This record gives sequence, C-alpha cells and structure tokens, in this order.
Amino acid sequence: MYENGERRDMGPLPYDFSGIALLYVEDEADARNMVSKMLAMNYPKIKLYSAENGAVGLELYREHEPEIVMTDINMPVMDGIRMSREIKAINPEARIIAVTAHSDTSYLLNAIEIGVHHYVLKPINYEELFSVIDKILEQIVLKRLVGEQNRRIIESERQLSSAQRIAHLGSWQLDLADGSMNWSEELYRICGLEPGSIVAHYQSFLDRFHPDDREVIRNAIRVAVGNRQPVSAHFCRITRPDGSQRTLQVEAELFLDGAGLPATMIGTSHDVTEIKQAEEQIRILTDDLERRVIQRTSLLQASLRELESFSYFVSHDLRAPVARLEGFCRALAEDCSNCGDARCSVYAERAERVVRQIKHIIDAFNNLTHYAKCKLVIEEVDLSAVVRNIATGFEQSEPERQVDFIIAERLRVSGDPGLLQVALEHLIGNAWKFTSKKERARIEFGCNDKEGTRIYFVRDNGAGFNMKYLDKLFKPFQTIHSPGEYNWNGTAIGLATVHSIILRHGGRIWAEGEVDKGATFYFILEPNPEPGNFMD
Amino acid sequence: MAESCIFLVEDNPDDAFLVSRIIGKVCPETIIVARDGEEAIEMLQKMADDASYQQIRLVLLDLKLPKINGIEVLQAIRSSDLLRFLPVAVLTSSDNDVDQERCRALGVLDYIFKPLTTERLEHLLSLNKDA
Repeated sequence: MYENGERRDMGPLPYDFSGIALLYVEDEADARNMVSKMLAMNYPKIKLYSAENGAVGLELYREHEPEIVMTDINMPVMDGIRMSREIKAINPEARIIAVTAHSDTSYLLNAIEIGVHHYVLKPINYEELFSVIDKILEQIVLKRLVGEQNRRIIESERQLSSAQRIAHLGSWQLDLADGSMNWSEELYRICGLEPGSIVAHYQSFLDRFHPDDREVIRNAIRVAVGNRQPVSAHFCRITRPDGSQRTLQVEAELFLDGAGLPATMIGTSHDVTEIKQAEEQIRILTDDLERRVIQRTSLLQASLRELESFSYFVSHDLRAPVARLEGFCRALAEDCSNCGDARCSVYAERAERVVRQIKHIIDAFNNLTHYAKCKLVIEEVDLSAVVRNIATGFEQSEPERQVDFIIAERLRVSGDPGLLQVALEHLIGNAWKFTSKKERARIEFGCNDKEGTRIYFVRDNGAGFNMKYLDKLFKPFQTIHSPGEYNWNGTAIGLATVHSIILRHGGRIWAEGEVDKGATFYFILEPNPEPGNFMD
Repeated sequence: MAESCIFLVEDNPDDAFLVSRIIGKVCPETIIVARDGEEAIEMLQKMADDASYQQIRLVLLDLKLPKINGIEVLQAIRSSDLLRFLPVAVLTSSDNDVDQERCRALGVLDYIFKPLTTERLEHLLSLNKDA
C-alpha cells in the first residue's frame, strides 16, 4: 500500500496539526532513520525529535514536551517502559505509542499500567502506525478545540459578569413551570446579597421588592405570560437586608416551548438608583430655575409697572404744570413788554426757553420708556437693507457731503423691524453727524463672527470719543460733546434709545473710540428674541 | 341778538385764568366757566332748557376734570338733541393718543395742547366762523 512511504488512499486529515511535536525513540539507527523519514514525509507539519535510547529521549522530552512519544521498548541505557513512566510523571496527558516486537509482549501489561495506550508491532506496518498516529492527532486536536471553546465560554462569562457589574445590571431566568430561577451574580449584589447565598426562586425574587411594588412586578409578569408579550420597563424599589432602598428598572422577555406555550422568562434588573436620583436632582433644579424665572419675571413686571406709572405721571401730571408755567411765561412776555424795566421781557423769554427745554426732556423721556415697555413684533429683518435705506436718506439730505458707505450684504436677523430701524437710524445718524467735519468720511456697517456669536458693528472715521467717557455713552441725558458742537439736539437720548432697543432684543452693545480717529459701535442680538413684552 | 359767550370747562384756576386772558385778548365774548364735568353738564342742560345755549360761540373743554371727565362731557353734549351741534375744542396737557382718537371720533373742532395761544384761538374762531 505504501510506496516510498507515501500514503495514497487517504487525503490530508481535516485538522491543523501545526505546533504538535512527536518524539521517536529507537536504538537501531537504520530503523530510526527509515521511520523518521517516513514520519516526516507523512506529517510535514509535525515537529519531529528522535533519540537512540530512553535517557536521551527523556532529556528531549523535558526540553520540548512533545505531545506524542513513540518508543521502542528494549533499549540500552534506559528502556522504553522506564522512560514512559518518567514522562507520564511529568505529564499524565502525554500520549505514548509503544513499538514492540512479539517477544516484548511481557512488557505490555506494565505498559498499560503506566498509561501507554497505543502500540504498534515490529516490524512496523506503516498503515497501522499512521492509523494510530492519526487517531492520536485527532484526539489532540479535538481536545484542543474543546479547550478553546471552554476558554471562550469562560471569557465571555467573565466579560458578561464584568459588564453586569459595571452597568449594575443583573439578569435572571425564570422557569414558569416550577418558579425556579437563576440569578446572575450581579443581581445578588444589587439585592445586597452574597452571590448564591439564597435559593433563587420566584418567591424569593418577589420578596426582594418593596411591599408596595411587589404586586406591580407580579402583575407585570402575569400579564406578559397571559398576553405572550415582553415585560416592558417597570421601575420598582427593592429593600436590601441592611434596610437601604434601591430603584430597579425591570424588563423581561418571554420564551415559548416547542408547543408554543410560555416556558421561560429571561429578564434584566437594572439598578438605576443613581440615575433616578440624578433625574430627581435635575427636576429639582429645573423647578428651582422655573421658580426663579417666575420670580425675576414678576420683579421685571413690577419695575415695568412702576416705570409705566412713572411715565404716566410725567406725561400727564407733570405736563400740566409745565404747560401752565409756559402760559404764564407767555403772559409775562406779552403783557410786560412795555414795562419800564427791559429785563422783565428778557427774563420772561428766557424762562419760556427753559420751559421748552423741560418739554423736550419730557418728550425724550417718554420716547425712551416707550422702547422699554412696548410689545416686540418679531420678524425677519434685513439689516443691510435697512442701513442702505438710512444711508440713502442721509446722502439725499446733504448731497454736498462726501461719505463712503460700506455696507455688508444680506445681514438678516430676527427682530422688531420698527425698533431695529430706530436703533440703526441713531447709530448711522451719529456716524453721519460726527463725520461732518471730515473731508472724506467713511461709514461702515458689517459683522464679525466670534466663538459662534455674530457681532454687528457701525464704524466711522469721525470725531470719535475719549474712552474715559465710555460709561456715559449709553446713559440718557448725558452727552460728551458740548452743546452746539455737533448740532446737538439738547436731550442726548439717541444711544440710550439704541441701548434700550438692543436690550429688548436680548442683546448687548458696546463701543470703542479714539478722539479724531473715529468710533465703532458693536452690538449682538439674541437669535430668537422673545416677542411681546413682560406686562401680560 | 343776545351777547354771545365762550363756555370754558376748566378745574384749574391758573389754567382758567390763562385761557380767559387769551380769550380776552382775541374776542369780546363773555366767558362762562364750569369747574368740573358735573357742573358743566348741569349748566349746559340749564342753557339748553332756556335756549340760552344758542349764545355759546365755542366750548373750550379740558379733559382731565374732577367727577366727570372731559370726554364724558363731550359725549353728553353729542348725545343731546339741542347741544349736539355745539362747536367744541379740547384743551389738554397730556399727549395721550387714545384720548385724542376718542375726541376726534366724537367730533371736535380742534385738539389743543396747553397752553392756548392767541394765534391758536384766532385760528379756531376763524374756523368756527366758516362753519
């Protein structure tokens, strides 16, 4: 059957033998060489060691621990039986094939006792030898596979167990026939128990729960079994032996038997105590925030109402005596013009001017308070278009002036069109006014995006201002230019108005300037300003 | 024909003085003054009864009045069969848009912010003459 020692009738064995080693011990050199060659040819992936007696063989075994040992029995120095005994002492799993002559049969009982379970008769029949080796190889490979499977199972169990511990997620299985259960280690720990310390049963499972929640769980499982559906998430409290309480999120799936009847339920019990506490914390914080918003809003409403009654007072109660005063000034100026003392009519006229000034201030004040309390109507506003219109208006009003307008395109915002128009009129108007002494004026409207916030600006190269007056800039009735210097209108509420309008849009305004170098007014707007006012 | 008059409804004596002074400068009409809305309605009613209301050339009506305010007086005038065509001008020191709207809706010759000036009264009387 074998020519040149090649095995012809069998294909390669369907296993991977790499990493397996075989030690061959034989004192007859010719036989050793011949058999070694045959082995190498038939099992090219197997690592082969050979030795001429038991002592050398044992040494090689100690060095390499080959899985298979094939040994002659009768050898000088150390015979095969003694070597086999030594090898078995090192590794009881070692597979030993005894190669024996008929005359050696007296050793066989010894050999079996030692654990030599395979033997091949001399002279060697290769078919027989290879069949023995094949059988051993198959056993080794199968054992390896089983070992590997076991290792994987252990690993995945360990992983599952770690995952459960990390996630505080316990699992359980319930046999619906007898109520017996299987709990994961983590489920025990969640319940404050040593894993395996009590018998896992449906009743002991229910006993974990807070008396008020026990019925919830029992009912959820009953309904799930009855309707053949999963148990949806239920939040229930358990009480640990130390009396502490935990909140579990319990969910389960139902499994049917071959006949389609409910047989098993597999579920999870997730310890969500900390999550629930965090949720509760968030709820408390949200409530608190809500309360604070309500408080702030009512404060705001109170001050708005105060402002309203104050502006009512100004526009009604204050105007009447001022008008009366004006009437008397007029009467003085008219009726006393022929008085002997010329100062009489001069004083009367000056007093009249003062009264007109008071009326201006009252008007300005009312305008200003209007922006603080009026209702916001929010629409999309094209600031670029608004600025262009304002610029055109100024250019037409003073065509002799040389002013370069640089206006960024398509700057659209959500806001009150009327109010934003007023704000930009003031800003552009200021720029126009304070560049009036420049031969070549430049007024720019644009924006910068910084850290996700759009900052709009109106920049001019006009008179500018000293930064030390910055805090006066946006206050009403304060001016940093002398009367008459820049056609001052006498009330100085322009920037205060702009400030008020920007604030109403949830925004902010600030300025930079340098005397004779120009000024830049920056503002930001809330992307979604709240419409209406706070009075309702 | 009996002497014509100007009917002034004004609670504040200073204002009454100032308005009377202007009237005295502009026209020869006598001035009848009512000190509040209630008095104004009573007096006007009496004048309606004895037909003397026909002598009223102009009613000058302050809006902010004790008891019954100017707008209510105006309403009373406009709802009276005899008085409804009286020429009324409102005098006010407030800039309340709502008041102004209501007065214009009820029909007023003019809506004047105080103080009244000779020019304004002259203009007013000239309007009245044309009517």
